[in-house]
Amino acid sequence: MKTRMLVAAIVAVSLGVVAATASAGVHRAQANKLTVWLQVDAQSGWPDVVAAANAQFQQDHPGWSVDVQYQNWGDHLQKFDATLAGGNTPDVIEMGNTEMTKYMAAGAFADITSFKGSFANSSNWLSGLAKSGLYGGKIYGVPYYAGSRVVTYRTDLWNKAGIKTAPKSLAQFTADIHRLAVQNAKVKSFSPVYTAGTDWYFAMSFVYDFGGSIARTHAGKWVGNLDSKASIAGLTAWKNFYKAASKAPSTSDENNPPPYNVFSQGQAGSIVGPGWFSCCTGTKYKAVTAQFVMPSHVNGKPMPGFLGGSDLAVPAPSGNKALGADWIKDFTSTSAEKALQAKGNIPNATSLLGTSVNERAAARSWFVPAAKHWVDVENGNILRNMLAQILIGKLSVAQAAASASDNITSVLNGA
Amino acid sequence: MAVAAETTPRWSRRHRLSWANVRRGSVPYVLLAPVVVALAAILGYPIYSLVRLSLQHYTLFELIAHKGQYVGLKNFGSVLHDQIFWHTLVRTIVFTVVNVGLTIVGGTAIALLLVKVSGWVRILLTSGLVLVWSMPQVVAVQVWNWMTNFQNGVVNYVLTELHVGNYYGHDFTQSTFSALGLVTTLIVWGALPFVAITLYAALSQVPGELVEAAEIDGARPWRVFLDVTLPILRPVLLILTSLSILWDFGVFTQPYLLIRQVHIHPSNYLMGIYLFEEGYLKSDYGRGAAISILMLLLVGALSFVYVRRMVRIGEAE
Repeated sequence: MKTRMLVAAIVAVSLGVVAATASAGVHRAQANKLTVWLQVDAQSGWPDVVAAANAQFQQDHPGWSVDVQYQNWGDHLQKFDATLAGGNTPDVIEMGNTEMTKYMAAGAFADITSFKGSFANSSNWLSGLAKSGLYGGKIYGVPYYAGSRVVTYRTDLWNKAGIKTAPKSLAQFTADIHRLAVQNAKVKSFSPVYTAGTDWYFAMSFVYDFGGSIARTHAGKWVGNLDSKASIAGLTAWKNFYKAASKAPSTSDENNPPPYNVFSQGQAGSIVGPGWFSCCTGTKYKAVTAQFVMPSHVNGKPMPGFLGGSDLAVPAPSGNKALGADWIKDFTSTSAEKALQAKGNIPNATSLLGTSVNERAAARSWFVPAAKHWVDVENGNILRNMLAQILIGKLSVAQAAASASDNITSVLNGA
Repeated sequence: MAVAAETTPRWSRRHRLSWANVRRGSVPYVLLAPVVVALAAILGYPIYSLVRLSLQHYTLFELIAHKGQYVGLKNFGSVLHDQIFWHTLVRTIVFTVVNVGLTIVGGTAIALLLVKVSGWVRILLTSGLVLVWSMPQVVAVQVWNWMTNFQNGVVNYVLTELHVGNYYGHDFTQSTFSALGLVTTLIVWGALPFVAITLYAALSQVPGELVEAAEIDGARPWRVFLDVTLPILRPVLLILTSLSILWDFGVFTQPYLLIRQVHIHPSNYLMGIYLFEEGYLKSDYGRGAAISILMLLLVGALSFVYVRRMVRIGEAE
């Protein structure tokens, strides 16, 4: 028996040592440091705005430093989940407006309603964006900026093809595309309009333009709506447009390669995407880069575009909630928002809106269903898969839409 | 454990419990203790947590609250009634068989080649193998991505120039077959060095005189390989095969990074990815835990078969 007791004692002591060292390692206090998670867009697009906010914050709170950690859209939620489990969340996090609902519903963010008055222009916030940070009447997210989608094109190629004005309708755009294709037939894999095969933001714009939608509510439940007549008409129009305009593989996506890379390599007459795409069209084409609003199939109207955007939130487990809100105040000040506007973004308040091309494009916009489980539809690549199937031709538009629609119904209702 | 049992003096009534005896008797336990503690800490506790999690309803809400709800075997039921689970299982088994088969056959071929070639070729080959081995998975994935990039991938270029077809703008992740085929090339390429070098070492155990005798008796090289070399390699081959099965069945990094999240959907899931999508991306951690326990049981069953065969081989010798 003594042997066993000795063994037990040794095991107990060793376990105790392991436990003690482990717990000593976990809770290392991070004194006077505010951790902020922003998307890489800020790092590549407006680092000066970030630096200005940090400087202002440090001036107001001497002795504090700000650790800005840049994240990728692809995996920032998984990382955030891990910090929620571990209790070491950042103090401020940037969230896509489509990602907010799930986390607000789960109680991941702090209620910052009481700070509303301190945020600049908070009485004039863009309603669509403000709504994405609102849950149960409380504010969990501060609008950061919005982005509409426009067509970025090369004026030299358009002039060479004899196209004088920006298209006023989808039919006119399609005619222009044929002229561009003929004019540049010699350029290897040239796309008159480069758009990725599974760019659902673009494809859904056609759906909404023809009066369709992704999903609707019926008797308190979500119902997939891509199989409706109007949606199918939109998807068919998108397919025809894509086949005429883009050489991207059917399964390609809008992140890889970034469309502006294709543009800067001379393989595209135009690209469709956020207004800030004009930043990166390459030194060679900088002078011949211009933008217009994607036209609707109805003459003279813009096509509804996806109004993307970001919110800033304070995670509930953060120990520096008031400071987090204070940093958000500095980062969404009028001057910061104006700087973002100058980079081609839409500022967070109607009082700041101008008449630039992307602000005009925002006049008609669509947004994803405000459902708790919407993010599962995105992560499950349901729309992307449907679009690839349509382009490859394995399924007809109606078949692919019907199957995706059923899928969306079950996912949105939390099945 | 067998070692400890044999070397521990058996207590009998005639033995008096003296301090010296206790000290001598406890030595094996003391020596074993670090291993037991380490295993308990890094394997036992996580598995215990996993089992507990699999019996709970545990989503994002529970994650923030740090408290789940016990629901019994509901998670397991939901997984086993999921068609995607069964399709993924079959796909993963086929994938594993192909990958392990190619790895072992290719590795054996390279090992046999290593024996025959001249000294400096052997050094060249071995250094090549070691270089492959030392390449981190993520880096290798990146290289594969570059080589098969639809815009300017060198593989696309070569295939097009060789008139195999028009591969400009071809996306290799387009169909399930070509996506998993691409993953297979990466995995087999990365696994070959370990198998080849281990088998090369094992080949040195094959007595030259046995081979010589067989050759004198008129056996052709293929016969010599089947009847002389292979039986001696068998224990090593068994270890390598079962290790490869374990690795390839649960593979995640290569397919996830190579196919990329935006191209992953139920029709190209492997088990590791299914687990990640269901458990992590959908924030249904309880269900994810149930899937991983099912995977653990499957792999455990495979290892059991292997361990039993190994023990039998040991007894026969």
